Amino acid sequence: MLDLSSFNNLQLDAIREVGNIGTGNAATALSKLLSCAIDMDVPRADLVSIYSLAEYYGDPDATVAAVFVRSLGEFGCSLIFIQNEDDSAMMVDRLLKQQFGDSLPAELPQDMLDSALAEVGNIILSSFLNAINMLIGTKHQITVPGVARDMLASILQVVASIFGEMGDMALLVNTELRMGGTDRHISGNIVMLPDPDALELLLRKLQVL
Amino acid sequence: MENTYHVGMADLVVVSAPAKLITLGLGSCIGLVIFDPVAKIAGMAHIMLPDSRGAKTAEKIGKFADTAVPTVIDEMIKKGASKARMKAKIAGGAQMFALPDAPTDFLAVGSRNVKETTALLAKAGIALIASDTGGNKGRTVEFSTNTWMLTIKTLGKGKADI
Repeated sequence: MLDLSSFNNLQLDAIREVGNIGTGNAATALSKLLSCAIDMDVPRADLVSIYSLAEYYGDPDATVAAVFVRSLGEFGCSLIFIQNEDDSAMMVDRLLKQQFGDSLPAELPQDMLDSALAEVGNIILSSFLNAINMLIGTKHQITVPGVARDMLASILQVVASIFGEMGDMALLVNTELRMGGTDRHISGNIVMLPDPDALELLLRKLQVL
Repeated sequence: MENTYHVGMADLVVVSAPAKLITLGLGSCIGLVIFDPVAKIAGMAHIMLPDSRGAKTAEKIGKFADTAVPTVIDEMIKKGASKARMKAKIAGGAQMFALPDAPTDFLAVGSRNVKETTALLAKAGIALIASDTGGNKGRTVEFSTNTWMLTIKTLGKGKADI
């Protein structure tokens, strides 16, 4: 099994580049979906202590909305799209207004909002993943998305427990998307968590292992 | 004046009263409290995973149920608590995401944490007198040695004492 603590900069750079390709594709898909310009940051690939994941992203107590999917197949990984509550609400609102226009009722049931969020998250995360699988020539299958709205710390325990089985560090590929076209930008983070054997496969295909 | 202790992920704290023990944002993790109201000693652990057998080296003792439970008990005895008087309360063990069509063993770590912690307490002969576990919501918990109550805050549901 790969030892995360022995990762070198070349390997982290290669993974960051993979994140870049994935994010580019996700940004394009989201831009089409919402009909607006999307800005993206250069992704980061970081090794983070599983005990301070929440602090890495912000205030552990803050309420966030998150969409989670698993990629099954040769390149197994977990992906999370995570946003502040407000950003998420604005994004969902924009999507629904676009689909339903002025006929959209002011108060929508929570399950409809969750389902819209799951759909946007799904499009972002599967586009991200498609680009990576294309790059390394693997096939994959993506699960139906799961949605949670809760404290940042609680949500990131999913990540901590996945990596915690192996050690104290998590490898995160992290990138921010910003949706333009309104008075206020809407932001969201894509977090990619490759399984250990997928990570090995990825590094091999990129010829840095 | 009671001291307030923040128990971080995989941490374990044992204190004498008066004290307040707080742990933030329990998702699949377990907030375990064991206390002896006569000796006025309490311990809290923030347990992440059920079982340390797969772990490599130098892990935090509070991280796994099978290392945390006996250690909290031992540390309390060292401070003068009596095992016969110890009682326990637990909260947490939620499953934050549900994926309908996928194998979700790794997402169900919360229920495995609950099961293992409960079994270890029973094995040690410590009465589990209150628990608030499972579901799909995160919990922030606060234990006060003034009342020996565990206050649980859940998003959208407010506060409850157990």
